[in-house]
Amino acid sequence: MQNDKTFGLVVAGVGGQGAITIAQLVLGAAWMNGLHVLQSEVHGMSQRGGEVSAHILISKNKVTSPTIEKGTGDLLIGLEPLEALRHMVYLKKEAHIITSSSPIINMDSYPEIDKVKRLLSTINGVEMINTDALSKEMRFPQGGTIALLGAASVFLPMGDDIWEKVLSERFKNKGEKVIEKNLRAFMTGKELVKQ
Amino acid sequence: MKKSKLLMGDEALAFAACDAGLKAFYGYPGTPSTEIFESGEKYIEQLNDGRVAEWAANEKVAYEFALGTSYAGYRTVVTMKHVGLNVALDAFVNSAITGVQGGLVVAVADDPSMHSSQNEQDTRILADFAHIPLLEPSTPQEVYDFTLQAFDLSEKLKLPVVIRLVTRLAHSRGEVYTQEKSLSPTSIGIPGEEEKNNWVLIPSIARGRYRELREKLPAIIETASHYNTKIIDGKSKTGVLMAGMGRAYFEQYVSDNKIDPKKYNLLSIGAYPVDIKLLKKFVASCDVIYVFEEDYPYLEDMIIPYCDGKCTVHGRRDGTLNIDGELNVAAVRAVLENKKIEGKVDDDLFAKISDLIGIRPPKLCEGCGHSDAYEAITTALKNIGVEDARIFGDIGCYTLGVQPPHNAINTCVEMGASLPMAFGAAMAGMSPSVGVIGDSTFLHSGMPTLLSAAKSNLNLNLIIMDNAIVGMTGQQIPVAADIAPTLAKAAGFAEDQVHVFIPLPKKTKDNIEKLEKIFKENKPSLIVFKRKCIQAMRRKLYTKMEKAAV
Ligand code: SF4
Repeated sequence: MQNDKTFGLVVAGVGGQGAITIAQLVLGAAWMNGLHVLQSEVHGMSQRGGEVSAHILISKNKVTSPTIEKGTGDLLIGLEPLEALRHMVYLKKEAHIITSSSPIINMDSYPEIDKVKRLLSTINGVEMINTDALSKEMRFPQGGTIALLGAASVFLPMGDDIWEKVLSERFKNKGEKVIEKNLRAFMTGKELVKQ
Repeated sequence: MKKSKLLMGDEALAFAACDAGLKAFYGYPGTPSTEIFESGEKYIEQLNDGRVAEWAANEKVAYEFALGTSYAGYRTVVTMKHVGLNVALDAFVNSAITGVQGGLVVAVADDPSMHSSQNEQDTRILADFAHIPLLEPSTPQEVYDFTLQAFDLSEKLKLPVVIRLVTRLAHSRGEVYTQEKSLSPTSIGIPGEEEKNNWVLIPSIARGRYRELREKLPAIIETASHYNTKIIDGKSKTGVLMAGMGRAYFEQYVSDNKIDPKKYNLLSIGAYPVDIKLLKKFVASCDVIYVFEEDYPYLEDMIIPYCDGKCTVHGRRDGTLNIDGELNVAAVRAVLENKKIEGKVDDDLFAKISDLIGIRPPKLCEGCGHSDAYEAITTALKNIGVEDARIFGDIGCYTLGVQPPHNAINTCVEMGASLPMAFGAAMAGMSPSVGVIGDSTFLHSGMPTLLSAAKSNLNLNLIIMDNAIVGMTGQQIPVAADIAPTLAKAAGFAEDQVHVFIPLPKKTKDNIEKLEKIFKENKPSLIVFKRKCIQAMRRKLYTKMEKAAV
């Protein structure tokens, strides 16, 4: 981590998408890097498809607030495009947004997805990834989500070398193949942003 | 060397309790407290040295389990959410009079902003009411440290000690340094000869015990005072009075913005009851005081009377902060400076976003049996000509039945309220009167109404949504399954007043016809809609239960 400012990450999605898993992976990575971390999550009754979000604060100094102040967050990972919009208020002007463009339509008033995408594309720093297509291509249902993390890793304040360890540890119970798939998905996402 | 882990506030509490030599966890599930018990249960399995974790039918019973374990000389934790303490209040208040033997820690999670609750009551007030000391940590590390200390305090003061968490702490994950070893549970023995009668609260004994409790207050305040410190005794006349997460947000604000803390005269509160002398001294050294505390303006109300025109207090009472809802860094900043943060979303973008996002409310899982049960109930009522039917509801996943497309339930007050309210409405002439309750909520506090219902000749329909699991809080295994029909019959319901239906789409037509008939009868009936929870099935919990039963 370069400076001693607190880094704020928001992860937002819909119940069941894995937002909390992504948050915990980042948390673990920052912690292994010797940084101070605090993460909070809101998932009231999420197993029934409501919104889920997590805030993660990372710093060289002690962190005491588990939530990000509106207008100060550095990065947003959106697992769903409408949820990315919903949590945009937490970000500072120069913040980056890595979001899926694949909607989850489980609410009555879901707007036309093109409108959502159009609005997202007018916002500075937004990188949209078609996670549904990516997952299909990789034949790995969680692939798209892990790719988002890979893309976001470019903007996270931790060393590049930590992720292999973090992902391997997280999925070690699921066997070599699963670890392999996750690492590949992560790299795919990372490449998308670097290009 | 201490070990460090990433733990949630809830987990930190459970780990500390085990490390302090806890024998037993008790509780009733309730967001955001549930994970205290659940992580404790897992840790116990790992330690494998004779500890236990047991969910109770309700918080009062859980509290009394803990009191019994304490009587046996062991350390114990009882967990619940803030409103659960209302259910346990009788035991809570009187346990201050009896006192405790083995250390008893009451872990209560408050829910400011009501992320998943019906109110935002403040546990500090109930602890004060019962003369029970309360510790209020502000980080996962403090949760761990305060919990370890709470057991010693409890045994020293011979009183229960409350650890108050709030949602943001209960569900926050951070680095926690823990003890190398977990003390194994050992008993300090049952109450001895001189203390034996302390536990028998007949008036002649209770009077003496109550006076002793009152006389103990200075010692309690003295103990609490170690957590309450004036951090900077500078020359500043601008005071900040902060507690729990209020302190966490203030500290983050100060450190992120490189503000010299000497700018303020700080008083930090971590334990209650608070020494009035300390508050008076603090007030006397300030011209103006800002108060940051979660939930009620509790400390704020304590200091206002001492200000006497010489000092102004800014907090929730004068509208500087909202009277309700949780704090955050933004709220602290808005109070202490005028600068507005300009983020990515300006007014124009905000309007565009607001236009699109709508709300994404939680819903019953796709294919959940509650949905089919509601369809049958509401259709049957309509078919027999009940206009504007009102159905008494309760707390669980099925509370979501208030939303479209179900539009089924009309009340949700507190745990167990549905059946007694249906009874009361039937007594007042509502016919048919219908109450809907989950199986776990029925066991929690719906059960007694069966007894009153059995004796009545009311058109009263007690409906149990039975999935043999505590669905909403993450699928805990309830204390009992499948007992309602037997209980009803034992209470006096005849065979033809007890019905078990399966809420599956292909059965809905049949269920409607049967309900129509039942709803027309002028006698009480028990109707059980029995089907498994999809989430619990996915997690193979029923198989686990069956295995455990063998
Ligand atoms: S968690 Fe279980 S009970 Fe709750 S809505 Fe889902 S299937 Fe129904």
